[in-house]
Amino acid sequence: MFKNFLKKPIGFKLSALWLFAVLFITVTYDLFPFAQWDAISDFSQGDGPFKVPGHILGTSYDGMDMFTATMHGARMSTFVAVVSVIIGGGIGSGLGIAAAYYRGTFDKVMSSIFNMILAIPNLVMSLALISVLANGNSNEPASDFRRVLVLTISLTIVIIPILGRIARSSTLQWSSREFVLASKSIGTKNLEIIRRHIIPNVAPAILAIGFFAVGVVMIAEGSLSILGIGVPGGASWGSLLAIGRANLEYSPHEVYIPVACIGFTVISTNYFGDYIRANLDKRESKI
Amino acid sequence: MNLGGALETFKYIFQRVFIALVVVSGATFLLSLLIQLLPGDPAVMAVPNAMPDRVALMRKDMGLDRGVLGFFWKWYTDMWQGNFGNQYSNNDTISVTVLLKRALPTTLLIILYVQIVALVVSVPLGLISAYREGSRFDRYLQTTLFSLSSIPSFALALILVLICAVRFDWFPVLGYVSPTENFGEHLKGMVLPVLSLAVGITASYTRLLRTDVIATLKDDYIMMANSKGISKSRVLWRHVLRASSTTLLTSAALNMGGLVGGTIITEILFNLPGLGYQIAFAIASRQVISLMSFIAVTAAFYVFFNTMVDVIANIVDPRTRERRV
Repeated sequence: MFKNFLKKPIGFKLSALWLFAVLFITVTYDLFPFAQWDAISDFSQGDGPFKVPGHILGTSYDGMDMFTATMHGARMSTFVAVVSVIIGGGIGSGLGIAAAYYRGTFDKVMSSIFNMILAIPNLVMSLALISVLANGNSNEPASDFRRVLVLTISLTIVIIPILGRIARSSTLQWSSREFVLASKSIGTKNLEIIRRHIIPNVAPAILAIGFFAVGVVMIAEGSLSILGIGVPGGASWGSLLAIGRANLEYSPHEVYIPVACIGFTVISTNYFGDYIRANLDKRESKI
Repeated sequence: MNLGGALETFKYIFQRVFIALVVVSGATFLLSLLIQLLPGDPAVMAVPNAMPDRVALMRKDMGLDRGVLGFFWKWYTDMWQGNFGNQYSNNDTISVTVLLKRALPTTLLIILYVQIVALVVSVPLGLISAYREGSRFDRYLQTTLFSLSSIPSFALALILVLICAVRFDWFPVLGYVSPTENFGEHLKGMVLPVLSLAVGITASYTRLLRTDVIATLKDDYIMMANSKGISKSRVLWRHVLRASSTTLLTSAALNMGGLVGGTIITEILFNLPGLGYQIAFAIASRQVISLMSFIAVTAAFYVFFNTMVDVIANIVDPRTRERRV
């Protein structure tokens, strides 16, 4: 497997390494002896990277260690993106596959609901959902946990129709193939056909779009943070950059570190999506 | 076009418009359900310290006193008559229609500039890189474009501000000058926002055009044109470009809708008083009704552009008609 990896193009290696690093820090953040991520330093405020000992990536204008904050932000950003894509993708592809396989009224209803949700640009959609759901009953702002939860749910709802439509169109192609017909005619149960024949064939296309979707969610998370309704308090990359934007003039690294992190992650996930899709076409053409 | 074909086209247009109307109505209905899901009272949220009689008045004005369906129906029919509801503040009520009239031109101008810049840059780039397919130039360009198309526009916007406005004082960042006031200043203020949006789009246009041009260059009539001795640039610009621009134009038109949503963040980052700015204000001041109206307008634009693309493609390119069957 490692030999295969070395043969891949350089973009593949870089993307894989970056995503692996991000996932690694997300999972193992607690195992490292990091200081409290939002602790304020008394000695260093707004120093650039590699300038002060003890703060590799410098400190924010308020004195937060950028390295720890970035590592901690990776966790929240990845969590929101991965969870909403997995849940939304699961629900979406389930609905899409079922709609395309069973056809009929269910298909019509599902695809028109998908189209209606897709009629609203995804950022605007998540905006609407969050601004409605995240507001507490009274004037006091909603708790942090509630805001993260609402953010994840809203982005999940945004993802459902995107993957639903892909799953539907991909299933439509496969469900009319001969082997599915053959399987039907020997009396295999529908669920069994979907499990054995449809899902394995549809999965690569869904996976490819799933990678793109992770990028979409990361961008949406950053945008919503800039609008002030994302993850609060600098706990994610988008949130860090929303805070840093105010201090752009004095400590620019506060902005470009999270921007670079979001950028690299989106480029990597897009690369993987593209890579899977390209290989998909090759496989199709062999048939 | 014969009569039967014309009838077919009309039927198709009618169908598409009908579907678009259903989609927009459905989307607005979903939005109005969201408002009803709201834990608090939209009227109280908009003006937290309003007197009870003002709240009652506002509720009546918003149609909140009519139940779930009645509320949707009032909002929906009002919108068709050009009344998008009101934005409330402590001592004032502003009609959203007025705000829209002020905001929409700015947003549409930004979208227009972005499209112009993107098309002007991507067409020559796409042609050259397809013509030299596989060369070093082509490979480097492809890698660069792929990375550029993946960078979120807000990231680009922040980096541009950092370099062009904070480090070197090249362009103003804050403040919007309307084109009627001072066109030169207006353009100068638009450079950074338009650039931040256009880079990603240019990259994707170039990649689309390149793929199409490579396919066209393999066609027989291009070889024919070459062997007749027509100059290379003329073949590229006249014969190849025209034959392979359908995908690009479709994607450009589809992007019109996407950009309506995409400009929101850019407008906020650069303080441009467009639709996105209004949306952000509505969120910050918790004006739920006007927020929903803005979102409905955005969705309507999006669907409108998408439908137009389908209809025009259907009229211009007969091949799409067959594909539909």
